[in-house]
Amino acid sequence: MKKIALLSTSFVLLGILLFVYRMFNKPHTNVKENKAYEHLSAEQLFYFFNRNEDSAMVVFSDQIIQVTGTLLTKDLSNELEPQITLKTNINNGFIRCGFKPNELKNIAKLKDSSTVKIKGICKGMNGDDELTLLEDKDIILSSSIIIE
Amino acid sequence: MKKITLILTTALSLFAFSNHSGGIYKTNTGNISFYSHTPVEDISAENHKVKTAFSTESGQLQFSCLIKDFEFKKALMQEHFNENYMESTTYPKATFNGKIESISSIDFSKDGTYNSKVNGKLTIKNKTQDVATNGTFFIANGIVNAKATFNLNPYDYNVKIPKMVAPKISENIKITINSDYTHNH
Repeated sequence: MKKIALLSTSFVLLGILLFVYRMFNKPHTNVKENKAYEHLSAEQLFYFFNRNEDSAMVVFSDQIIQVTGTLLTKDLSNELEPQITLKTNINNGFIRCGFKPNELKNIAKLKDSSTVKIKGICKGMNGDDELTLLEDKDIILSSSIIIE
Repeated sequence: MKKITLILTTALSLFAFSNHSGGIYKTNTGNISFYSHTPVEDISAENHKVKTAFSTESGQLQFSCLIKDFEFKKALMQEHFNENYMESTTYPKATFNGKIESISSIDFSKDGTYNSKVNGKLTIKNKTQDVATNGTFFIANGIVNAKATFNLNPYDYNVKIPKMVAPKISENIKITINSDYTHNH
């Protein structure tokens, strides 16, 4: 009887340890394997943040968003996180998508001014009205992948 | 008449030169990392989408970055950082508004290394504190690489850390800035 109790306790403890270990080492969100929470155009996504940043943060931040828009720039200067920007209908408003370095080849293939579909994790809107040198606004997507 | 022409030509040349080397330098791909060391645990994270610019005339230097965009090695650590300590949905940005003190001694038209004190106000979680550090500016082929480090105490910025976790988080977190600026035409 004592043996069974000891064995059961050991199994429970092992289970708890395994659970804690897996929680502690849980992987980052896999953008490729997860469905997008919302499909939006670059203009729509920018509009939501520009209209009310606080409520857009609650709805979109940390969510996987699929965005369709016109490629404006490719910025491959930061090797740690190559980036592209998509146009919006606001002059100083952009969607900035950051990629893992292994997406570099796919980014290089993108043609200027082409329509692209990107999936990434929405982080919020960068830029501040009070900082006069940083008046333009970027909606940030991270860990992005190119859909087409 | 010749004198007037000469003065006008000189003035125009000077204007053209100042227009070329002066103005605003900017990037949207700046890097900020932080490192917290304690005997219990080392914690670090990086952000590669920092928006920053400076004026070569006034020396004004500004940064803005999203707290949620700091990437940790461990996903759980990143989750705790955002949800429990930084409350980054409510306080999404960290901003810096300051000045490069010796901006006039930096020749942006000439490759080289220049040092200057940088002072300003850093705002995190709606709490603003004065920050002073030494910055190094490397100029090569029209690109200005700026590097600086300074330390901050999370308690100065209203970051509430539970007692149980406190031994894991340093009160002297090292912030490293490394950004490549290009002239903004």
